[in-house]
Amino acid sequence: MELSGSVAAESLPSTSLVMVSAINKRFGGVRALRDVNLEVRAGEVHALLGENGAGKSTLIKILSGVHAADAGTIEIAGKPVEFDSPAKSREAGIAVVYQDLSLVESLSVADNLLLGREPRAAFGFVRKRALMARAEAFLKELGIPLDTRATVGSLPFAYRQMTEIAKALMGEVRLLILDEPTSSLTSDEVRILFDAIGKATRRGVGVIYVTHRLNEVFEISQRVTVLRDGANAGTFVTAETDMKRLVNAIVGTDRSVSIGARTEPAAKRELDPSPVLSLSNVSNDRLRAVDLSVLRGEIHGLAGLIGSGRTEILETVFGLRPLESGAIEIEGRRWLPSGPADAIEQGVALVPEDRHVQGLVLDHSIERNVTLPRIPHFSRWGWMQQRAAARRAETAVARLAVKAPAASSLVRTLSGGNQQKVVFGKWNDPRPRVLLLDEPTVGVDVGAREEIYAVIRNAARDGSGILVVSSDLVELIELCDRISVIVNGCVARTLSRGEIDDAEELHHLLQMYQASGLSLSQELSA
Amino acid sequence: MTELTAPNVVASSTRSDRRRRILQNLLRGERPYMLYIAFVILLVVFSLSSPWFLSIDNFLNIGRQTTLVSIIAVGMTFIIIARQIDLSVASTLALSGMAAALAMSQISNSWIVGAVAGLGTGALVGLINGILTTQLSIPSFLVTLGSLSMARGLAMMVTNTKPVIITNETYFAIFGEGTFLGIPVPIAWTLAAMIVGVLLLHYNVFGRRIYAVGGNPTAALYSGINTKRITTAAFVLTGTLAGLASLVLSARSHAARPDVVQGMELDVIAAVILGGCSLFGGRGYILGTLFGSLIIGTLNNGLVLLGVSSPMQLVIKGAIIVAAVAFTKR
Repeated sequence: MELSGSVAAESLPSTSLVMVSAINKRFGGVRALRDVNLEVRAGEVHALLGENGAGKSTLIKILSGVHAADAGTIEIAGKPVEFDSPAKSREAGIAVVYQDLSLVESLSVADNLLLGREPRAAFGFVRKRALMARAEAFLKELGIPLDTRATVGSLPFAYRQMTEIAKALMGEVRLLILDEPTSSLTSDEVRILFDAIGKATRRGVGVIYVTHRLNEVFEISQRVTVLRDGANAGTFVTAETDMKRLVNAIVGTDRSVSIGARTEPAAKRELDPSPVLSLSNVSNDRLRAVDLSVLRGEIHGLAGLIGSGRTEILETVFGLRPLESGAIEIEGRRWLPSGPADAIEQGVALVPEDRHVQGLVLDHSIERNVTLPRIPHFSRWGWMQQRAAARRAETAVARLAVKAPAASSLVRTLSGGNQQKVVFGKWNDPRPRVLLLDEPTVGVDVGAREEIYAVIRNAARDGSGILVVSSDLVELIELCDRISVIVNGCVARTLSRGEIDDAEELHHLLQMYQASGLSLSQELSA
Repeated sequence: MTELTAPNVVASSTRSDRRRRILQNLLRGERPYMLYIAFVILLVVFSLSSPWFLSIDNFLNIGRQTTLVSIIAVGMTFIIIARQIDLSVASTLALSGMAAALAMSQISNSWIVGAVAGLGTGALVGLINGILTTQLSIPSFLVTLGSLSMARGLAMMVTNTKPVIITNETYFAIFGEGTFLGIPVPIAWTLAAMIVGVLLLHYNVFGRRIYAVGGNPTAALYSGINTKRITTAAFVLTGTLAGLASLVLSARSHAARPDVVQGMELDVIAAVILGGCSLFGGRGYILGTLFGSLIIGTLNNGLVLLGVSSPMQLVIKGAIIVAAVAFTKR
């Protein structure tokens, strides 16, 4: 504990280790990164913040050699480097610890640490004892309390992560990148992790620490860089900044202004008080007694951290996750969803979180994707009415202003925003009674985002009840009539329009509920 | 940019567009013409090097020889588009043939009884393959590797490996030796299977769902498609077509033998892949499959006419298949 405390207390080191200058990256029509700069010094923990889709992952993938930058330079200790593969990046001393770990669960800690560089005897036999000794010596040197003999799969998550970090530190590592390492850790495990990070920085290793949790930034980092919409939104010395300034940088002041300029404030609309969807006491493996109602024409937001259960609420209503107890009602009638087909039949539609995996068949045309949920409606006695389907797709393309040469264009060739419009197009006609949206604007550029907001507002005006999950709090404030805060699988509070003013307030509220949901030991030790 | 969308609404209803749409349905593929070019090159090479190759009789011969592969390949196209594989088709054919012949000799010597027994057995094997694959989530590669062995074993067990003689003349005429509108029936059955395949895959709701399930199973599920039922249906279709192939084969040889067409599943899969199906699912078309089987059949036929020894034929065939796939893949 004293170690982690001393990490933050250390003054900022002065030797520049990694210098990223003017990096640009495009994916199809989306500019993921625009002239991004980042400097990490030896022995520094440098926090990297930003909303989902702000460009953090892309930057990391460029540093780790997964993607190549379109323009810009990377220097390590003053020497320019170019990575055309992850191996090259590793050779240059950059190691990434991903959220999904890269360990072989059936092997021991020692085997994992020396995977691919096992001490060998003649004919390729592994010198097991030498391997154990080397692993043990290394862990001792680092001061990481791990049993080298333990099977990785049997370890608690934090220890697996520690193994991963130790593995990353084997060999010549100069820069360690941690991508949301604490997202699934308990508070005690977070301590263990911070200790391990402290041990790495003492050896002169630079650390890039990606996180959504602002309190961790103040606990562990010396500097912070914030990305917003693929560009730098500021670099701060942690000791000289505060929560408020960081939130402003993440959220962006320009966009808070645009909220005020909104043409149609959701607050002024009179809503029909009869709910189209109501959940009472809904529980299952991830939800605990969720009470929620969505009115006709209402846009109802679900705010919460990743893993809080907000996505699971949508999945439960869409029939993807079985209901264990509680009741769901649609327009006042009790209904037990048996699966997506049943949900669609009831007029429930879902625009899922990951459009590439869950929403679209990328190698198929817009037409095929748009007609997918309602194939029987475009057929007579089982035979496709191709012209009806084509007409339907063309109306959807026109109505949603999808920028594509034709309805027969492959979805893969479209930009993120237009792909997302195609997902909306799947549920456009007939109007769904309940429209579930999960992160509707992730990976969508600013212009298309406004268009998608218009689509959502139109759906609400036409009478759909809309439940929207978003990590972008500005988005929730801008769209929603009411917002429910989800913490640990249940609704902590439902706020109506007048109770909250801006994203910052919501952000603080969320942090507060999240913190109170954590275990007491975290509170005491912090 | 938005004005780009408007003209399409008008254009879609014109007749020429409709004709183009039909053509696209039949010919579509990533690089569709490569396949046809490859086939033409093959024809030219064999025509130049063998005087017997270029004749109607020989082409009918090729047609007859490719019948079994072509019929089953129609079903395999659905399976591979749906991201599955069926290794059991040759064994299913053998078992279905035995069932058809035994039904006629033991129950009633009527061609209908034989046909029902053959097709039904094929469909049943397909149903079992499909249910094991989808309900127990066993990869279809393993499920059908098992049924490959089991179906063959059962076919041999029922008569203790002896062939079963068929004596029904109508059966021979309908499935093996007659003609339909001047076309030898094996070829007519192939064409029928192809036409049904085109209709089902390109014009039916089922086809749309097959493409979606193979293109992205999660997105298909999220769109309310019963992916398990669709996948199972593809296996049943393939099993039934293996049954049909068994009727054609046994009617031609006047008997069903339990040890026929061993290893033919590889020709079937090669034909489908040559025809432009992606092993990763979501892509493929029936006419491509037809040409894929024709290329395999032409190779078999041409190499024999050239007097190439049969071990050498295997080597050349394998090399050409790999080269053609490397050439036609996107």
